[in-house]
Amino acid sequence: MDRLIEILEDIQPDADYETCTTLIDDHILGSLQIISLVAEIEDEFDISIPTVEIKPENFNSAQALWEMIQRLEDE
Amino acid sequence: MGSYISIAYLLFFLPITVFVYIVMPKKVKPFVLLTASVVFAYLISNFYIAYLVITTVSVYVAALLMEKSKQKCRDALPAAENREEKKAIKRRYASKQRLIVVLVIILNIGILSVLKYSQFFVTNINSIIRLFDSGYKIPLPKFAACIGISFYTLQAVSYVHDVYKDKIKADKNFGRLALFMSFFPIIMEGPICRYSDTAMALWEGKRIDYKNFTFGLQRIAFGIMKKVVAADRLNIIVTAIFREFEYRNFDGGIVFLGAVLYTIELYMEFSGTIDVVIGTAEIFGIKIPENFRQPFFSKSITEFWQRWHITLGTWFRDYIFYPVTMSKGMKKLTKTCRKKLGRDYGPMPASIIAFFCVWACNGLWHGAGWEFIMFGMYHFVLISLGSLILPLSNKVLPRLHIDRNKLPYRIFTILRTCILVCLGEMLFNARGAKEAIKMVKVLFTKFTFKSFFNGSIFTIGMDRFDYIVLLCMVAIVFAVGLMKEKGISPREWLAGKHIVLRWSVYLGMLLVIILFGAYGTGYIPINPIYANF
Repeated sequence: MDRLIEILEDIQPDADYETCTTLIDDHILGSLQIISLVAEIEDEFDISIPTVEIKPENFNSAQALWEMIQRLEDE
Repeated sequence: MGSYISIAYLLFFLPITVFVYIVMPKKVKPFVLLTASVVFAYLISNFYIAYLVITTVSVYVAALLMEKSKQKCRDALPAAENREEKKAIKRRYASKQRLIVVLVIILNIGILSVLKYSQFFVTNINSIIRLFDSGYKIPLPKFAACIGISFYTLQAVSYVHDVYKDKIKADKNFGRLALFMSFFPIIMEGPICRYSDTAMALWEGKRIDYKNFTFGLQRIAFGIMKKVVAADRLNIIVTAIFREFEYRNFDGGIVFLGAVLYTIELYMEFSGTIDVVIGTAEIFGIKIPENFRQPFFSKSITEFWQRWHITLGTWFRDYIFYPVTMSKGMKKLTKTCRKKLGRDYGPMPASIIAFFCVWACNGLWHGAGWEFIMFGMYHFVLISLGSLILPLSNKVLPRLHIDRNKLPYRIFTILRTCILVCLGEMLFNARGAKEAIKMVKVLFTKFTFKSFFNGSIFTIGMDRFDYIVLLCMVAIVFAVGLMKEKGISPREWLAGKHIVLRWSVYLGMLLVIILFGAYGTGYIPINPIYANF
């Protein structure tokens, strides 16, 4: 989780990833940041994120992202 | 029945459907909606409704075949002895499913392309042949399409794609899928719905309750007001400026006025129709997605497209932008570019390629003509430039002590966006690419405000009274938009007021429609613009 927060802070520093649950709804992460984020997460965690997983509920908070990563690691 | 804002629809078709829906038992209600939708589709498209039937049957069968293949795959997996064998089984079934989804998408996009783009394609081939002076000319194909084909085809593609990607299950109930594809309020001009959001609610057969009924009627009345008071009033002046601008030698000021008025006309017509559409669905207790969210409050072109024709934008985002940027090659490009260009510019090359695909498709979706491709490319350039400039402006603005959140800067960005949008709509409404270029030339070389002061603007199709009515209508729409921007629902707000005020507003709306609607001699009602796309 710490590594994920580091990645998020590198991509978009202006957010509190411990508490924010509206990263997509409040346009804190735009499409360009999502493209970077997916590339970084895939590299770091050695997973492949399919396009169907790119939905607000998976990207709205660091916790939701972490749960998606763990789910994809198990598959 | 050529439009939702017509006597035939509002005084006959809709009330009859609502009445039959109310009296029928719950189980029959979905069939009432399905029958009404088939009758409506037949009334607007005649026998060309066959295209809608082909699309519905093809996606129904394709989705079931994919579901069957997925089930076979699940049944075969337990027999696999190791991980590799499991992967091989998954790959085998996935390739079958891919073949099915590709074939059905090719079939449906193929039908749309042949009906909509074959004339444009042949005209361009003939232009190339003419360059070689061969004298040969391919005869122009003549096809008539089912009205709303551009909307329901996108719904069909999203349905099979989502089944293929396991986002939804294939629907075994043909009636439910057919109703999702043909629901009468959305068939002509959208919004483009997703199966996962609307199909189940449509088939539920909800009871019509008082709140939904009255809220639906209010939304319909507001939509009619926008269309008949503003859009229809603007039709003659907009047509005159755009169709006769060369012959009448209009100056740049008039061309700019035409661009602004056409943008207002388009918004009032399209959002007004969508109000009627959403209001109709609301009567039946069905929530369909909003297509507009105060687009003229946008501070950038990117934001504008998140607020204007929202369902088309999200369709392109989900089915073109992300699949392109998330393809293996593009992900690799992003990773390489992030290392070389850094955090801000790393994702740009992949997203600019995806923006190009989205805007080429968006332009072509709106029509078969170079002016539409120009319109798409205009927005592609603006959005790409906006993305490229943003990291720079993020650094420069604080140094200049400019606060993005302060009102003057926000007003500046809103006005800048509105002007850019109006120029884009001017390209969109021009009679062709050559005419569009001429209009841009006049705008920048012959710009003057003379026509505004010598009375010329009152001689092109709108007199002083028309301008005053238009301004009042724009002010009402602006006030409603402002309330929504502040998070207030105008209808909920009104519902909490005293009965006298409430009914004064309802009757006032009716009076405005009757007294200030652009009817009779001197006016020509506008045809539904988006129904032709």
